[in-house]
Amino acid sequence: MPSRAADSRAAAAQRWVAEHGDILWKFALARTRSKDAAEQIVQETVLAAMQGFESFAGQSSERTWLLGIAAHKIADHFRRARRAGSASSPLASADAACECATCRGMFTDKGTWACTASKWPDVHHSPAEKAEQAAALRACIDALPLGQSEAVWLRDILGIPAAEVCKAMGLTDTNLWTRMHRARVALRSCLETKFGQRKESGQ
Amino acid sequence: MTQSVRDIVRVLKMPCREHVVLLSRQIDAPLSQGERVGLRVHILYCGGCRRFAAHLRHLQTLGQTLYNQVEAEPGLPADVRAQLNARIAQVTKKN
Repeated sequence: MPSRAADSRAAAAQRWVAEHGDILWKFALARTRSKDAAEQIVQETVLAAMQGFESFAGQSSERTWLLGIAAHKIADHFRRARRAGSASSPLASADAACECATCRGMFTDKGTWACTASKWPDVHHSPAEKAEQAAALRACIDALPLGQSEAVWLRDILGIPAAEVCKAMGLTDTNLWTRMHRARVALRSCLETKFGQRKESGQ
Repeated sequence: MTQSVRDIVRVLKMPCREHVVLLSRQIDAPLSQGERVGLRVHILYCGGCRRFAAHLRHLQTLGQTLYNQVEAEPGLPADVRAQLNARIAQVTKKN
């Protein structure tokens, strides 16, 4: 017979599904682009949250906590897909094609700029341009290493405060800053190859 | 010298490789007043860092756009929601 603790846990889980099911689904679907995978990830997230219910002491908002768990499950999904060599994994294709996830060549040995990046097309007056660039950003995020792509989604897309992303991902402040910086530099290079024209400066 | 002035001088002496680290950190955590002033002054005369800062702002704008696109997608389908609730009940019974 279910205990009272189990009952309250089930009630909490049902509330999570009611209140946060939509954003968990949208997040999982945006990352995996597969309804089957998204369904599995949302389920794994809720079940893992039920198990970790006691350890959640309200350090962050419930929504952040759940999105953090979902980010782990999404990373697991891609690790599995990569091991299985599945072509549907964005990583499998993007890794090979990516010339971008590196900041090599950005600075000289002295730490000065090696080349000047271009001005990117303005998005403020054209919703179509904005949507197109956002799609480019999404493809660039898909090509990042897993730890970075999940951090970027939590921090820069879902807009979760840095301190809460640290808790959700088990990172120190400094770890997160470094990870975010590397990711943003890589995204910038990736977008630069898509809609900038790099010119080498001759100094 | 006050701490603030020391921070300004430290930032102005940094190579650009370190300026970009501060520009990125600024998104995640507040910098000291001196660091902020130092960066602002540096950016006045450094085109490379100015462009980098503009690109970071652009990335934030695109991130917000991507969020709006994701948020506008349909939510958890009813059948998945029902299955999920059934699974929760099933797991609870087992324990």
